[in-house]
Amino acid sequence: MALSTIVFKTYNMHMKKKVAIIGTVGLPANYGGFETLAEHLVKNLHQEYDLSVYCSGKKYAKGNRPSSYLGAKLHYLPLEANGIQSIPYDTLSILHALFYADVLLILGVAGAWMIPFVRLFTNKKVIVSIDGIEWKRDKWSRLAKAFLFWSEGIAVKYSHIDISDNESIQDYTAMRYGSLSRIIEYGADHTLQVKPTSEDKAEFPFLKLLYAFKVCRIEPENNVGTVLEAFSQLPKYTLVIVGNWKNSAYGIALREQYKAFSNLILLDPIYDQRTLDALRGNAMVYIHGHSAGGTNPSLVEAMYLGLPVLAYGVSYNRTTTEHKALYFKDGNDLKWLIENTSVPELKALGETMGAVAQRRYTWKRIAEHYRLLIIEALSVKNKGQVMPDTQKINNSTLLDMDLGHLIHQQGFFEKRQ
Amino acid sequence: MTQYITYILSPLVALVWVLIATPATRAIAVKLRLTDQPNARKVHSQPIPLVGGILIFAATLLSLLIQVAWVSDWNTMYVLFNGSLLLLITGVIDDKIDVRATYKLAIQIALAWFVYASGIHIESLYGLFGIYAIPTYVQGLLTMLIIVGVVNAFNLTDGIDGLAGGLALIGLIAYSLLACYLGKYDLLVLFLALSGALVGFLRFNFSQANKIFMGDAGSLFLGYIMVVSGIVLLQTAENTANNSVTVATVIGVLALPVIDSLRVYRGRIKAGYSPFRADRTHFHHLVLSLGVKHHVATVFIVFAALCILGFTVIFGSLFSLTLTLVLLLLLFSIMSSILNLNMSVNTWRNKIRKLEEL
Repeated sequence: MALSTIVFKTYNMHMKKKVAIIGTVGLPANYGGFETLAEHLVKNLHQEYDLSVYCSGKKYAKGNRPSSYLGAKLHYLPLEANGIQSIPYDTLSILHALFYADVLLILGVAGAWMIPFVRLFTNKKVIVSIDGIEWKRDKWSRLAKAFLFWSEGIAVKYSHIDISDNESIQDYTAMRYGSLSRIIEYGADHTLQVKPTSEDKAEFPFLKLLYAFKVCRIEPENNVGTVLEAFSQLPKYTLVIVGNWKNSAYGIALREQYKAFSNLILLDPIYDQRTLDALRGNAMVYIHGHSAGGTNPSLVEAMYLGLPVLAYGVSYNRTTTEHKALYFKDGNDLKWLIENTSVPELKALGETMGAVAQRRYTWKRIAEHYRLLIIEALSVKNKGQVMPDTQKINNSTLLDMDLGHLIHQQGFFEKRQ
Repeated sequence: MTQYITYILSPLVALVWVLIATPATRAIAVKLRLTDQPNARKVHSQPIPLVGGILIFAATLLSLLIQVAWVSDWNTMYVLFNGSLLLLITGVIDDKIDVRATYKLAIQIALAWFVYASGIHIESLYGLFGIYAIPTYVQGLLTMLIIVGVVNAFNLTDGIDGLAGGLALIGLIAYSLLACYLGKYDLLVLFLALSGALVGFLRFNFSQANKIFMGDAGSLFLGYIMVVSGIVLLQTAENTANNSVTVATVIGVLALPVIDSLRVYRGRIKAGYSPFRADRTHFHHLVLSLGVKHHVATVFIVFAALCILGFTVIFGSLFSLTLTLVLLLLLFSIMSSILNLNMSVNTWRNKIRKLEEL
């Protein structure tokens, strides 16, 4: 009896904890930031944890559905991982994961309404990455915004640990929920340093020139129009933008409006990592117009490639670049920066950006953060608050204890305002 | 036959009075500075004359004076007239120089006592929560509470063009049908005359060039008419076969303003403020935060009030009144939660915009 207990306990100690990664399109990663993150978590953590990843059957055809990938189990659901279907997709994934997982790592808030029930009825640990400030983005309808806003609240309040991808979002979650979000950004060392070949140069003649580069979804919140307008007034400077021009009326109209300018080269999306890196890696300067909340993988990648960055001056971009890049608020700022920044200055800026990225934005480091968070999640019972418990003591008691100075404590997020 | 002419004439005369008298009254109000000055909480940028209440009151009175012969219940008319006049005067003074909330409340409580003492009171719970008969002192307290509550609730609806007027108008039309049904023809004439005056008022209230507001004077006295005549109708229908439809109609008419005012008070107390502190959390603010224009918000809310009225009358007379009320509260809280969520989205979006600029 005693022996079997010992054997059982030893076996249990060595049994890997089971972690379910929920909310991505799936693996192998072909899509966005969360999928790349999931891929690198699997690569870096599969020896330590028993990982499962949920995949969208809509994006992986029937014959092309391996049951495991790099040591992680793959589960397929017959739903889209994005848009309105992400709600049942995440919900069903969470329900399925409850049968075996110790930790649920939920990326995005679409299935957040389940979390209070998970907490109420099970002992599972929940880590949620809230992914930028999704509810604020223009692409959502009013109802979708309200739903995402509500879901974000549920996710942060009921998870054991919540993750923000940017310091400025940590301020926001601290202000709105009193929660101390952990900041984990994205890695960028999957990008490639490519020397363009003569075939590349034949296909993309602008590789022989000095050019500015931008890759993004063609949406107003990425300031595509502003950037195009600025460069249309700078005929001496070449600008290359890669994006989904055909997907929206906005993109089609912009392409039509600027097709006559010979210095503006507007390319359709490039899915091949090597080609994309050949184009952006050899640019003179990277233009980052994103204004939506959070750390943008494309910015991190450009930094890792050692490109000098001219970024739209919102707090997210400033914190991602550690306030060391050049920033613009509008087209005139951008024009001024382009015309008044010398090549040696740009080279130095590129080196600075590269150094920041080497230090902060590698997948090894990001995965290590997640590894530690999973250990922490397994050991905590409840979520900690951002303000210290001394706040709960009333002022006269604090004064009696000669601790009057604690009355006026400020959180980091108040000081940053 | 002459009776029917009265029903047509009374609203028409009141309407014509308002249409004729408004331009001159506007001019006098501007001279006397009886106007609403623009401030941070308000949307208009020009001072707007606060004469709607006086005009509605005067036009209705002048219209009724032609047909005094039809009054059979002088006590009710006396209570309605005196109370309305008192609230009108209080309101005008309040519009001119802000009166303290406690004084206004004291006046309203005294008035409610006067109404109760005049024999107009809630006599039973009409089966609500399974309760019928209630002790006399509860009758008194409940009557006063409801009168003061409804008067203030109506006052709170007066935030965007046409809203207080529109809500009062559909309430008065419902009351008119009820009065007709119950044979309270003198009240019917009053309701019709008031409706006519309100239509005239709404024409100017919606106008851009000749805009007027009803002011506290108007919203307080209209709220008073709605609640006191509602109680009279309840008393009339008591112990008759029309009891449940009457109770349902009166609840339906008063539901939206009352439930919303309770929600607003609760929110203010929860936030640690006085329940009478002015803010931007009323139902019309929630609807406006959807990004719609003012008149769209008005139409939306008046339509919602109509749906609530229809629902309450149909459900309340067919099924249990308690169930109807519970469903009504549920419906309203779902609607206001969604709108509230939308409002928080807007609030936080603005806060984040500031954070982003760092």
